[in-house]
Parts: sequence; structure tokens; C-alpha cells
Amino acid sequence: MERIEKAITSLQRMQGSGPESGLHPLCLFVITVAYLVAMLSVPVSAFTMLLWFALYPVVMAALTGLDFTRIFTGSLIALPFALLIGLFNPIYQTRTALRVGSLAISEGWISYLSIILRSMLSVQALLVLVSGKGFTGLCRSLESVGMPRLLSTQLLMVYRYLTVLLQEAVDMTRARRARGYGRRHLSMKMWGAFCGQLFLRTVARAEAVNRAMLARGFDGRMPRYQPVRQRWTLRDTLTLGASLACFALLRFVDISRIFTHLL
Amino acid sequence: MSHHYIQFTDVHYAYPNGYEALRGITFRVTHGEKVALLGMNGAGKSTVLLHTNGLLLPSKGEVNVGGIPVTKKTAPGVRRAVGMLFQNPDDQLFMPTVEEDVAFGPLNMGLEMAEVQRRVREALARTGAGGLEKRSPFQLSGGQKKSVAMATILSMEPEILVMDEPTAELDLAARNKVIDIISRYTHTCLIATHDLDLACGLCPRSILIDGGKVVADGPTEEVIARLKEMI
Ligand SMILES: Nc1ncnc2c1ncn2[C@@H]1O[C@H](COP(=O)(O)OP(=O)(O)OP(=O)(O)O)[C@@H](O)[C@H]1O
Ligand SMILES: [Mg+2]
Repeated sequence: MERIEKAITSLQRMQGSGPESGLHPLCLFVITVAYLVAMLSVPVSAFTMLLWFALYPVVMAALTGLDFTRIFTGSLIALPFALLIGLFNPIYQTRTALRVGSLAISEGWISYLSIILRSMLSVQALLVLVSGKGFTGLCRSLESVGMPRLLSTQLLMVYRYLTVLLQEAVDMTRARRARGYGRRHLSMKMWGAFCGQLFLRTVARAEAVNRAMLARGFDGRMPRYQPVRQRWTLRDTLTLGASLACFALLRFVDISRIFTHLL
Repeated sequence: MSHHYIQFTDVHYAYPNGYEALRGITFRVTHGEKVALLGMNGAGKSTVLLHTNGLLLPSKGEVNVGGIPVTKKTAPGVRRAVGMLFQNPDDQLFMPTVEEDVAFGPLNMGLEMAEVQRRVREALARTGAGGLEKRSPFQLSGGQKKSVAMATILSMEPEILVMDEPTAELDLAARNKVIDIISRYTHTCLIATHDLDLACGLCPRSILIDGGKVVADGPTEEVIARLKEMI
């Protein structure tokens, strides 16, 4: 539970917390989507190809001044899911795929590792995306290229509701731990009570937030606060072009093989 | 300019779970008056305040703000006039950055961007929250949140100010800022508070509620004496 709490708070803090990259949010968005498509479409057998894609979050963090360790820790949240999903691969796929010295690594292990790596990289890419402008910035820029206002408002509301839910979960965990006298695990029955309470509290909080919004004239549309309108610059075009070229290269050319040839 | 009054007439309210929080509240706060709303925990102060801008509607009786009976229909208009500071700033702040939160009200009022920016700057400076613009409200301390919440109201330049515990959690400097803001405010002000010094210093008149009823209404000193008797 503590680990979940940490992940949750760090995710929450992450949003919009980093320095702004200076890139147009739309540019960053397209780059992220292209990255995800290229990275997720690497065949399972081409594990070495995938490794090159792991550079992206590191490079992006360096370029935009984000703290990569925080991005990495944030991406650990995906780990439990990935570990579970790929669990049976090593058991069922036993054909040898790779030999390192006398050690034979089976296909199953390779695909297991690749699932884990992929999910972590996906989360890392998304974190890079939201760290600069935040989720709101993203919705706004999608709006500017034609996403219906209604949809972006809905997304922002869902997002707001999620943070309320997470906040409540964190508070309740803390309160429980403060009175739990070191008991670490909840029994099934306590879990049920915990979830029920969480639901009720979240509804109450969401209601209160909604009241606060109404009190300040909310009419169903999120207003837009853009003191300075960000323009698409040459830098965006160049960055976008370079990134797309890089992804294409990494995806269609097996660089590792070229290197081994050269050596 | 005598239309910024708040009139409660025999207001009853029961929460959805059936609990009767208000049982016949009647009072009038006239234009330019500063009134403190006193009472023990659970007396019904916050519930009264939520009625002043139609966030809760009476199950019986009437709330009238500046000549307009508060109903579901009139509520949006009333909310432009009544700025409301909530007891819990966590509820009040919902945008990703402080700056956007303070801009939320003015933007909904349809003001020009330049005007919105001016108001955001000014409101944050007045509450001593200047410098927090780009921060996320989640990452602020309780007192800082309260100051920012105050700024979100001031930026709307309301004609009636309704505040729930404006000084709770504040340090001395922040408390002085709030007191300063309230004392400079020339319009109508209704303040629910446990801060008796604040009530004495700022509000010539107080209303005491207990169990959802008005039990005293008059000069603050007398009402406080009555409150102390109750304890
Ligand atoms: N959402 C709710 N559902 C049911 N009952 C509620 C709800 N909110 C408040 N109450 C009850 O209504 C009564 C009045 O509550 P209210 O919040 O107005 O008190 P208050 O005077 O503001 O107290 P405090 O000084 O503690 O802020 C309380 O007895 C409370 O238990
Ligand atoms: Mg209250």
C-alpha cells in the first residue's frame, strides 16, 4: 500500500511540475504518439532493437530539463501489471532464443522482458509528455487542433475526479496507518470497508469541488487561461522532423547489427 | 446602492440523509454591513452560507439576495454577486496551477484576457500569495491554500463576500492580511468564524446560531457573551 501511495503522489506531483520544454504541446504530443507506435510495434524477437528505444526518455529528460530518476520511479507503477501479464511466457515458450556464453535464454524470457520494458517505456513517455505542460496543457492543445471543447472538458473533469479519488485514498491510508499499530495488511473484510468508505468520501469530495466550481460561475465549459498564446515555431518543426526520422531509423534498421558488423 | 443585502426568511434545510441542519433561520444583512456568524461546531454555519448563493436551496422558506429570490434559475446570476470562501480550501482549488485557479472565476465572467491577468496579479498580491502562480495547489501548505482560495474570490470582485472560517490555519502575517482585506472591503460581508477576536475587531454585529436556529442577533459583544454562557 505504501508503495502505491508513493507512486500515486509522485504521479500527481509530476503533472505540470517540470520546467516547460519550450516545445509546442502539440509537437510533444505527436512525438509521443509516434514514439509509442514505433516502440510498441517492434517485433518481440527483436529485443536488441527495443533496447535502443529506452534511450528516448533519457534523452528527452536531458533536453527538457526533467529529472530522469523521477520519471523512472514514476514508471515503476506499471511494473506490477507487466509482471503479472507476462508471467506465463517463460513457462510456455521454452525454445532457446539467445545464447550468452553457456547460458541459454528462452524465447519466453525474452518476451517477458520485452513486455516489462515496453510497459515501463510507455509510462515513461507519457510522463515526459505531461510533466511539462501537464494534462491540461495537453487537452488545450488538442482543442486547438479541433478536438471538441466538450470532450476536452470531460477529460479534464475525469482527470480532476481521479486526483480527488487518489487524494482520498492516500489520506485514508495514512489515517489507517496512524491507528493501525503496525498491522501491515488488511483482511478481506477490511478491504471491503475501505473501498466502500473510499467511494463515499470521493463522492462527497467531488460534490464539494463541483460546488466550488459552480460558486465561481462554472457553466459546463472549462474556461481557457492563456496569457501568452504559444506559437508553433521552427524549432518545433525541426524537433518533430528529427524525432520522426530517429524513430523510423530505430524501428526499421537494426542498429545493433550494424554496430556488430562494424566491430 | 442599497441592493446588496441578504435576507433569510424562515429557512429550513434537511440534508439528503434526512438530518435537519436548519430549522427556521431568519435574519437580514443590509448593504455594507459586516456580520459575524457564530456558533459551536455543527451549529449550521456552513449550511447557512451555502444557501447564500444557491448551492443549497431551502426545503422551506426563502433566501433573497439583493431583491432576487434565490432559486435554481436565478442562482447563476446570484453567484456573480456573491463571492464565497469555503471552509476547506481543498474543495475550493481545483485547477492545475494557482494562476489558472484564480483566473477561473473572472474567465467565467467573460472578461478580457488583459483584465483577467490584472485581476489575477492583484488578487494574489493582496492575499500575500504572489510568487505561487505556477505552483500546483496540491503542493501548497494548508495556510497557503487558504490564501490562494481567498485570491480566487477576490479576483471576481464580488459585491457580497461570504466567508467560512477565513482565518483558520493561518499564521499571524496571513491572518493580518485577511483582516486587512476584510476591513478595506466596503461591501456586504458575512463571516462564519470561531475567531472571536476577528469578530470583535471587524464586525459590529453578530448572529449566533445553535441547532439550526438563530438564538441571538445583535452587537457582537453581547452575542459573544451569550456564546460564552452556552459553553
Ligand atoms: N453532507 C451532509 N450530510 C448530512 N449532514 C450534514 C452534512 N453536512 C453537514 N451535516 C450536518 O449538519 C449540521 C450542520 O453542519 P455545518 O457544517 O453547517 O456546521 P458548522 O456550524 O459549519 O460547523 P463547524 O463549526 O464545525 O464548521 C451538522 O450537525 C452536520 O453534522
Ligand atoms: Mg462549518
